[in-house]
Amino acid sequence: MNKLVAKRTVDMQIIGDWVEPGSRVLDLGCGRGVLLDYLQQTKQVRGLGVDLDFHKILGCVRRGVTAYQGDMETFMRAFPSRFFDRVICSRTVQELIDPAAVILEALRAGRALTVGFVNHGYWKNRVDALFRGRKPRNPVYTTEWFESRPANPVSIADFEGFCAAKGITVARRALLRGDWHTPCGFRPNLFAGYALYDLTM
Amino acid sequence: MNDAEEDIPIAPPEPGEVGLVEPHDFVYSQPFTFESGQTLPGFTLRYETYGRLNATRDNTVLISHALSGDHHCAGIHALTDPKPGWWNNFIGPGKAVDTNRFFVLCANLLGGCQGSSGPSSLNPATGLPFGLSFPFVTIRDMVRAQKLLCDHLGLTSLFAVIGGSMGGMQVLQWGIEYPAFVRRMIPLATTARESAQAIAFNEVGRQAIMQDPDWNRGDYPKGGGPRVGLTIARMMAHITYLSDESMDQKFGRRRTKSSAPAGADLPPAGAPAAYTFDVQFEVESYLRHQGESFINRFDANSYLYITRALDHFDLTAAAGSLEQAFAAVEAETLSVAFTSDWLFPPAQNREIVLALLRAGKRASYAELSTNLGHDSFLLESEELYALVRSFLGSPQSP
Repeated sequence: MNKLVAKRTVDMQIIGDWVEPGSRVLDLGCGRGVLLDYLQQTKQVRGLGVDLDFHKILGCVRRGVTAYQGDMETFMRAFPSRFFDRVICSRTVQELIDPAAVILEALRAGRALTVGFVNHGYWKNRVDALFRGRKPRNPVYTTEWFESRPANPVSIADFEGFCAAKGITVARRALLRGDWHTPCGFRPNLFAGYALYDLTM
Repeated sequence: MNDAEEDIPIAPPEPGEVGLVEPHDFVYSQPFTFESGQTLPGFTLRYETYGRLNATRDNTVLISHALSGDHHCAGIHALTDPKPGWWNNFIGPGKAVDTNRFFVLCANLLGGCQGSSGPSSLNPATGLPFGLSFPFVTIRDMVRAQKLLCDHLGLTSLFAVIGGSMGGMQVLQWGIEYPAFVRRMIPLATTARESAQAIAFNEVGRQAIMQDPDWNRGDYPKGGGPRVGLTIARMMAHITYLSDESMDQKFGRRRTKSSAPAGADLPPAGAPAAYTFDVQFEVESYLRHQGESFINRFDANSYLYITRALDHFDLTAAAGSLEQAFAAVEAETLSVAFTSDWLFPPAQNREIVLALLRAGKRASYAELSTNLGHDSFLLESEELYALVRSFLGSPQSP
């Protein structure tokens, strides 16, 4: 198992731990349905994914995961409040045009929201910016600036500040070191590579 | 994004052909009551099948055809046939609907004119065509009649029902009407509720037919009738199946090569030859050809009946809400829309899936970027094939 796959698996395990068995789960930016497939296998969830790209939907259908091609915010607006038991937004927030609107809408349409992101405040990213003076590149974000999608990087401090400002309750958080495995208790905004939040409102 | 790696594509086997096929007639000889309350002492449905029914009789894929389609959706009737069935690119050994795996069934719909009972059929009581004495037909009537055919064939369930446009309406009606019988629905380029714009186009078509003196209130001999009206109806409807972009690509402003054929309109006295009302642009010539080939295979009264069935289709009104309409559905759904379809645009297809999801059903929605308009659903598209193949192959979660 290579490093990246190992990292992804840890991420999926924590997300899975927070999911109630048999619950109705919406995955925003579901990609090819790998996470939902895992949750369906391990937690028997009733999964549903949303993604913009046809080929991602095709990948979901191939895995037996139901998916909807379209804009996630518009999609959620079509559902009554608390329709989903849990909404998951895994490694997607940094690519959203209006992350606050999506997160608030997810907390309306869902009873709980899992948000996972790579911590932009991680020391290696800071060192990278300081010494290289270039866009951070690491095992997760491997691409050059000119090959990358527009991103709005977020740090743990940014996200905590956002939750406080919007009155969002952080029910659980998992802050992991650079290996995305070991819990990080000391100055996470500097030493955590990955952050997962379980939110309610 | 948890899955940066590419999926390994399922390598489809080299597709083959269904080959020679022949139609069959299902004659139902008990009284059939239409939704309108009108009755027939019996009816005939003409149908074709491809592939083999399995021992448990549950591998049937039912194809529902659109307004001008028929039961002949794949294969050929004779080696000299210039064209195969209308969805031959989609159905066959190793194709998206794989006849090595599925028993494919397609019936000409009730009210049609390709061998099933419709207004051009002879009324046994009079020996004359039914004409307007044929009962009004709804999408639900079409589905109920086809269920009787399924029962006749001894099918225990339908593995999937697939159809585009009006075929898609039948797909939805199947899932609602016979929830335990239908395992999967694939409605393409369709709507749960015929829109005002679509009704408007249908009405123009009907008026073209009914204002033609040869329509004679639906009373005309076989092969006769309102040929001009039906041609115009078809020309107009055909525009709604295309798109501005596709017409511009296909025809642009290109002029027809040939000069006016014999008997064509003469230029008004003194006008130069270019200033006539005869065919000058390729798009005009194309539409005239579409209209003329249509009248040789379609009955004007059937056109009236079927467009009326489209107009009446409104699952929302029938149940109070679309979620209510879908409450009983047990099937899993894959809905596909096409970006350039302005007759049944993506938003109307999205509404179907959103309502199914709100009703707690399993449903997926995908959208293909095409420029061919409504007719895109008949497109040769590897992406569409892959999607349908995956959906038909995917294990169903409980």
